[in-house]
This record gives sequence, C-alpha cells and structure tokens, in this order.
Amino acid sequence: MPDIAKTERRIVGFLCNWCSYGGADTAGVARANQPTDLRIIRVPCSGRVNPLFVVRALLHGADGVLVSGCHPRDCHYSTGNFYARRRLELLKHFLPILGIDPARFAYTWVSASEGQRWQHVVTRFTEEIHALEPAPHFEELEPLYLSQRQSTEPKRPFMPQPPDLLAKLKEEIRTHLPELDCVLGWQKGRDALHAVPFFLRQEEDLERLSLDATCHNSLVRYLPEYKGKKVGIIVRGCESRALVELLQEGLIAREDLHIFAIPCHGLLDVARLEEELGRYQHLENLVIEQDSLRITVDGKERSFSPQAFLRSTCLGCASDEPVLADTCLGSFTAGESTPVTAPELALLDGLNLTERLRFWRGVMDRCIRCYSCRNSCPMCVCHDHCIAESRQPHWQSAEHSVTEKFFFQIIHALHLAGRCTGCGECQTNCPVGIPIFALRAHLNRVIAELFSGYQAGRDAQAVPPLLSYMVDEANIQEREWQ
Amino acid sequence: MRIGVFICHCGSNIAGTVDCARVASLAAGYPDVVYATYPMYTCAEPGQAAIEQAIHEHRLDGVVVASCSPRMHEPTFRKTVERAGLNPYMFEMANIREHVSWIGRDIEANTHKAAELVLLAVEKLRRNRPLYSREFPVTRRVLIIGGGVAGIQAALDCAEGGIPVVLVEREATIGGKMAKLDKTFPTVDCSACILGPKMVDVAQHPLITLYAHAEVEEISGYVGNFSVKIRKRATYVDWSKCTGCGTCMEKCPSKKATDRFNEGIATTTAITIAFPQAIPKKAVIAKDFCRQLSGKKCGVCAKVCPTGAIDYDMQDTFVTENVGSIVAATGYDLMDWTVYGQYGHGRYPDVISSLAYERLMNASGPTEGHILRPSDGREPKSIVFVQCVGSRDPSLNRPYCSGFCCMYTAKQAILTKDHIPDSQSYVFYMDIRAPGKMYDEFTRRAQEEYGTQYIRGRVSQIFPNGKGQLTVMGMDTLLGKPVEITADLVVLAVGIEASRGARELAEKLRISYDAYGFFMESHVKLKPVETNTAGVFLAGVCQGAKDIPASVAQGSAAAAKVLTLFARDCLASNPQIAHVDNKRCVGCGKCVRCCPFGAISTCTVRGEEKAEVIETMCQGCGLCTATCPQGAIQLAHATDDQILAEVDALCQI
Repeated sequence: MPDIAKTERRIVGFLCNWCSYGGADTAGVARANQPTDLRIIRVPCSGRVNPLFVVRALLHGADGVLVSGCHPRDCHYSTGNFYARRRLELLKHFLPILGIDPARFAYTWVSASEGQRWQHVVTRFTEEIHALEPAPHFEELEPLYLSQRQSTEPKRPFMPQPPDLLAKLKEEIRTHLPELDCVLGWQKGRDALHAVPFFLRQEEDLERLSLDATCHNSLVRYLPEYKGKKVGIIVRGCESRALVELLQEGLIAREDLHIFAIPCHGLLDVARLEEELGRYQHLENLVIEQDSLRITVDGKERSFSPQAFLRSTCLGCASDEPVLADTCLGSFTAGESTPVTAPELALLDGLNLTERLRFWRGVMDRCIRCYSCRNSCPMCVCHDHCIAESRQPHWQSAEHSVTEKFFFQIIHALHLAGRCTGCGECQTNCPVGIPIFALRAHLNRVIAELFSGYQAGRDAQAVPPLLSYMVDEANIQEREWQ
Repeated sequence: MRIGVFICHCGSNIAGTVDCARVASLAAGYPDVVYATYPMYTCAEPGQAAIEQAIHEHRLDGVVVASCSPRMHEPTFRKTVERAGLNPYMFEMANIREHVSWIGRDIEANTHKAAELVLLAVEKLRRNRPLYSREFPVTRRVLIIGGGVAGIQAALDCAEGGIPVVLVEREATIGGKMAKLDKTFPTVDCSACILGPKMVDVAQHPLITLYAHAEVEEISGYVGNFSVKIRKRATYVDWSKCTGCGTCMEKCPSKKATDRFNEGIATTTAITIAFPQAIPKKAVIAKDFCRQLSGKKCGVCAKVCPTGAIDYDMQDTFVTENVGSIVAATGYDLMDWTVYGQYGHGRYPDVISSLAYERLMNASGPTEGHILRPSDGREPKSIVFVQCVGSRDPSLNRPYCSGFCCMYTAKQAILTKDHIPDSQSYVFYMDIRAPGKMYDEFTRRAQEEYGTQYIRGRVSQIFPNGKGQLTVMGMDTLLGKPVEITADLVVLAVGIEASRGARELAEKLRISYDAYGFFMESHVKLKPVETNTAGVFLAGVCQGAKDIPASVAQGSAAAAKVLTLFARDCLASNPQIAHVDNKRCVGCGKCVRCCPFGAISTCTVRGEEKAEVIETMCQGCGLCTATCPQGAIQLAHATDDQILAEVDALCQI
C-alpha cells in the first residue's frame, strides 16, 4: 500500500450502490470540490454493512468511518436501510465502551440526486475527523491495569437453597423421567466448588444429581443439540430467559421440553472464589449458609461472606420467577428486574475513552483464545460454525495479536445484541478473568434505551429489535448535517 | 490469479488531475497484478479492443479498469471481458473520475487516492468468483392494478400484443378519474367520448379478464411467476345475470346514498350503476344504505329485477391468478381540502372541488350538464377558481405541484363561459404552469378570448356575505393590493395525493414509495416505468402527478416493458444473489425474518433445518449476509471476505 499522504486522515466510506454512491457520482459530475481523505467501498445496500466492518476498520487504524445509504422509505431494497439504521445506531452507542470515540463513526442518508448534500457531508465529516487526534494504535497503547471489583449490594440477599429442594426435585424428575430421553442437571465436578453439567438418563443417575449455589453452567446451551428429543431441563429464572430466546429462534421446540423450574437466591462467583483461595490440592469441605461460606482447603478452613461473592449478574436480580415452566418447585419471588449496573461495567463507565481502550489493551492481552466464553454462552448457537475459526468467511486470522483477541470479543458481543439474557456465563468461565461481561451488559443497556425497554428472553413471540424496524424510530435521533 | 489493470486517462478528465502513469506503475506492484497500463479512452472501441488483446496476450483471468463510475460503464466492460472469454464477474472497477479527479485539483493527493482505489479493486477481484445466470420460465400473463386511463391503456396494449391481461379495479366501473371529467384540455374534447370506446374495448377484448369491485389481497412470487390473490368484494348482485337495465335503480326506495361517482354533489340510490357508460354496466348495492341489508324490510330490487340477479347473501370471494408481471396504475385521490379553515372547512355548499365541478358541467351528471349552485340550484354568474389548494403547500407537508390543475382550471373557466355566456370567472393562481403542447396557448385563450380574470395571489378567506353569495378575500401580488370578489360559486383546484391504500399495496408489491405515498420508479430519469422489484412496472399518477397524455404514454410504456419482458420464453436470473452454505447454517431463521423480499425459506436437509434462498426472488441486497452470525449466507460478489479484503486494504494493521 502506498504511504498515506501526510496531510490526510484514513477515512473509510461504505456507500450503497443505488443512492449514496450515485450521490457521490453526482457530486463528481458537478465538480463539487471535496477533501481527498475518504475512500469509498461500494456495497449493494446500507443493510449489507455489518457493523463489524466498521469496528474492524476503526480497530485497524481508520480515523473515521462513514456509512451512507438511501433515505428511509427510499431504499432500493425497500427496507434494507431501516435495519441498517437500527444496527448502526446501536453501533454508535456501542463504540464508547470499547474506548473508541463515537465521533469517528457516522451514518447518514444521501440520495443519488443529492450531490450537494454529499459534498457537504464528506466535507463536514472530514473536518470533524481532522479535529480529532489521529486514531490511537491499539497494539501500541500503554495498558491500563485496574482492580476490577467494586462492591455492590445485591437487590435480594443471598440465601442458600431450601434443604428439601433437591429431594423434591429428584422426586419430580423420577416421575417424569420415563417419558423423557434425558434430563439436564448438574453433578459434582472435581470438587465441591466445581459443579459440572450432568445428563440424566435413568433412575440410578438421580443419586448423582447435585444442586447448590455453585451450579452455574447454563444447561440451556446444550438444548439445541437435543432437538427432536424429549428433554427435561432444570432452570432458574434467568436461565428460562435463555430458553425463551432459543424458542424465538426456532432452535428448540417447546413441546419437546419439560422444564423443572427452581427458585434462586443468587449464585456464587466461582471464578473469584478460586482466585481468593489461590492454588490448593484438595478441597475437603464446602458449607454454604446464608451469612457464611466456609471452605476447607488442604486442611485449612476459610470463611467468606457469600454476599460479597455473588456473581455480578445476580446483583440486580429482583425476581426468580421463570418465564416458562412445566413443574415449579418451591416458591418464587415476583418483581420487576431493574438491572443494576454490573460492577465491571461501572468500572468502565468511570473511565474516559482513552482509558477504556487502554484498559481493554491490558486485559485482552491475557486472552488465550480458548473460546470458553463462547462455548459456555447459551446464545452462541453457531457452535462448530463460529466465524472465529472459519476461513471462509475469514473474519479472524490466527495471528496471536491483542487486536484479534479484542475483535473476537466485539464480534461475540455484537452477535449477542438483542439476544443476550445477561447470564454472565461468558465471564464466569473465562479462565483468565477478563471482565468481558461488561460489553454485553452495556449492549443490553443500550438496547433497552433505544428499543423501548426491550429485554431479551421475556417473550418467545417477540421480534428481536435488530430483526425488525419502525419507519419512524421513536428513540433514534439521526444527526443533522447543518 | 493474473490480473490486468487499466488506468484510463478519459482524455484530460482523469489525466488532468491524476498521474495515470504513476498509478499504473504502483498498480503493477499489487498482488497478482501481471499487467498494468494507462490507455487514453478505455471505453472507446480501441480501448476495449486493447483490454481484449491484453487478456489474450497476458493470459489474464481478471481485469480492473480504473476510470469513471461503475454505474456508468460496468456493464460495458463486463461485456468486453466476456467477449475475450472471461466470466463477466471477473472484473472490477475503480472510480477515479467522479470520486477522484473531478472533486479535487491536488494531483499528489489524487494520484495517491486513485492508487488506493485500484488496490481496493484488485483485492476485491482476487476474491471474485465466476458467476452464472440461470434461466427460468415465465408465465406470460400480466396483472394490471387500476382501471383508470393509464391502466386501460396498458391493458389494451398488452392484450393487443397477445398477452392475456387480468385487470383489477377497486370501483364498480373502470374509467377512473377521467370518466368523471366533462371535457379535456387543450382540445376541449368530450372526455367520455374519447375514453368510452377504450373502456368498451377492455370489456370486449378476449384476452382481458376484468375484475371490477375487487382488490388485490396478497401477492407472492417473483418476476415471471407471481401469484396474486384477488378479493372480489360482494356486490349483492349476480353480475352474470345483471343486464344493467336500471329497473332496480328506478324502484329503490333508499335514495340518500352517497354518490361517490358524482363527488358527493348529489345523492343516489342504494343500488346503483355508477354512470350510463359504466364498464361493466352492472348494479352494485351499497350495503350501508340498503334497507334490506341494514336489517329492515325491503327487498324491492329483488322483486323488480327481471333476471333475478339480486343476492342479499353474497359474500366476498377470492380468486388466485398467476401472472408473470404486474403493472401498478392506481392513480390518485384528491386531498381532503376541508382541512383549510380559510375555505370554510367544507361548510359552505357553494365552495366545491374542481372534480365536483366537472360533474356539474357533465351531461351525465346530476344536473344534466347545467351549471347550478348546489345550495339553491340557481345559475352562478360570478365564479372564482382557487388554484393550488393543497398543492405546493409545505405547511401541510404537500410541497409538490399537482401538475394539471392550472390547465383544467383554464378549461373550466372556458367551459363556464360557454355554458353561461354572461358569467365572469376569476382565477387566483400562484404561477401558471402550462408547459405542454398547446397548453400555454390554451391558458391565454381563457384569458384573452373568454375574458377570465387571472389574479396572481392567494385567497385568504371565503365567507358568506349574507345575501346568498360568498365574499372571496385575496391578494393581488402583482398589484400589491388586496382584492375582494363577490362570488356565486367557488371552485377549488384541489391537489392530489396518492390513492387511498397505495402504501399498503406498495408493501404487498414490495416496491418503494416516497414520503407522500407515490410509488418510486427505479431511476428518476432513466427508468421511469420500472420499479426496484423486477417485473413490477408503474403507469399513471400512482408514480407522480401527470396529466392524461402523460398517463396514457406511461401506460403504453409499461405495456412495452411487459411485452419486452415476455419476448423471451425464459428469464435470466441475476447471479449476484445470496447463497447458503448448508454446512454452516444452523437454521436459526434470522435471515428469513429480515429478508425484504421474502426470498429466504427454510428446508430440511438430512433432518436439519436450513435456510434456502429462492434464487429468482433474491434481489441481492445482502441484508441476510450482514445478519447471519455464522456467515453461512453469503451474497455473491459482495461476500464478507470481499468486503473484509477491501477494509483491510485500506486499514492495515
């Protein structure tokens, strides 16, 4: 690539073929003088512009990205730009949490006849980009290391599960097992702190069924693989929402499911407890009580406050009522879940843009690309077909670079936009403790703001906001180019 | 891959501000480029021949031309490389004229930018794959929606060309707005006399199936193979028996029904035939006004009907027609002028719309062609015409000109003088827009021969003066003075709006419409009849304001497009469409949900649900590709890999 002229900034434009590309042609025909910085990529429709193209450009050194399509209602493909508007607006709100200045990205509408408008938009946008510093080079940023915890009081105090719950659950499963191919539950893993998913097929298996505040793995994640089979599943309120999402996407069938709903008063953040315990040989005992959490490792008993070791996703939970259930065990707390800002998100909220980018530069360096975040996510339905490992399309190179690692987290987050039910499994399962839940939590927050409080997993019949549009969007203020 | 790059000078258009030789020398160093040159005019015959020669000589399997916009010459060069034996899609263009040389004079920056745009094209081309069109058969039938003059013309032309036509008309008779008019400008021909024979031709043509009093309910399919469900609304009269004798109308006791055909200036019977020349000339019962259908005792029409055609139990019925092409000719409606307080909100009976005035002047109208005031039946002597009522009025979000009002107002002024020789007409106008053949002469005739007083200005208020007349207050902006005229009758040239239900129909047709509901043509200058949905064409005012000759011309143009489409047995599909990689698809249905064309369905492959693109319906927008998280559905020629390569070419790490 030839060296970029010293006076220019790197600006990438994605223009739809029918309107804006034509508008840029019209400006050219009219000899409308424009800055030379912009390089135009022609796409059929603004709806073709995957927001990830924009992030990719910005992460790889672009100073600015401009997307332009047909005016709403005038789309050559009738509705493509309506979808584009929602997705690009969401992107605009997403960029700041990454530490990318949202002023580096703009989207607009220019028709094929609006040569003058095109000239104005390009000139204005280029001026704005020149007014900013050149885009920071992500790889070369100085990492910012911060302590990631801030204590937050949970909405509902932690309680261990009622002592008889497991027995009742076993009884119910025993009754229904004959009509089911399999029941998804948990069993003890290598020690009491590490529960693992368990696939019950016969009555004898019930012995091994385990249930306590360490059983966090989302079982919903395994359901699509069982499509067509009769499956029982144990879910808590939050997990039932992931179930709803899969139903919405048609990846599981309601009639094949038997849902055993259990109440929940918070799950323990096993990853943080592990960190606290440090290396140990044997975990001998684990006692979970309302006010104390006693763990005996290598002959030494240690005590913790369970309230302080709740998963951040549990902190804002106001209700454990399941959205769907066939068998309800125990009593549930009703209430409207008004999410509190997760501690990892609160941490980022307190930083400026450059600090955020430096923060990600620091934490993402730890990523070992194990994809545990993805593999544990109940909404990562692509399973073996994730674009992270695909060579066609080739979204991610195998290069061991912090940009590629960060880009995967962005891909994951944007693929979850409007689908994430906020279970936090991605972060819990991260072996190197990267606070990636912050990205999802921020997106969920933005989606609720932009799309009338939409929350994923509440209604199997709802149309997800990014797969629908409104001709006049109530909460999207398009920018004026005065 | 072996790529050849051609940096066009375009005379001095590009070479004036871009160092083409340097761009070519830089391009020679790009990946896979084996040949780079800089011809004077690439699109000219020698230029194209040079490309062909280079393909042979250098065994090129891909070509990049850096010149003007691909919107201009991409088809040209695709044919060029095809002639030399390459697949036409193994070609890319870099736009270094409209996007570079014409928009800045800095040769250094321009050369640099041009070189990068060439790199972009090379990187994309390296990932291009040969694409091939497929052929699919065509149903040689056409659906025409709307039986106004544009639809009639399109129907007749198609039928004369040997194409069976299905004509759907919402009203009980075809003829549209033109059938209501008395005379037409600028020749002052009788409207019914020139339209009538065409309407009869429609009725008699063996290839035309007419569904009047019917609406399009659902449309599915794609160019060449549409399936259209038509709702035949209940008429309560068996049209196969009705002879149109009119006995029922004479005897019907419910005489207060709204006369829509006469624009509400008179009432009619509950069972009615719109007008004497109606096609089809069949009776229809207006349910809301019929005593029998409102649950009261009546049944008079059933008793008097000589053929026993009355059927009070009739229900809406549906028919499905398969067609290969659709012409939308849904026309317009007048805007609701009663929103204007200054014209009395519709409270004064002697303030009427121009279309109502046509019915007053028309021999088949309620007054048998005598101009009589609706209020007292007296002949008006002073008539004020107000133009641009609901046209060119941004305050009501109607900034557009309705196009033909200036002309019909002049016609109405002339006809008024013919009907009532001792009358005086006044016209309040903003500008006189008379650009057609013989049009300006016509408006001058109205003023010079017929003594119509044209006053340039707007009317500020109309109110009754207490003596049975109206006071019209206005401004003469040429004299800069207020004017006040005592009028017996005020005629408002009411602006047009898109036909009722136009937006809903556009959604069914999957065509775009503008902010005012008028259908969008594919290109404002070069494709005025086509829409962006293949096989759907436009005729008449549904696309934008136009007068009768323009509507007829567009009707014929739409018919020509239909005949062109049907000239071949098979259609070639656009190969730039989405394809599903079955190995990657998990069947989550996100693409199915958002496809604007309903072109993605699901199928079962080895027991697993997969998305499937209906090749003939896919228009190639790529929304699905941007939606699919697995990248399992890829738009050919704009794949993720191609766009990523372009992004990476610009923003390398």
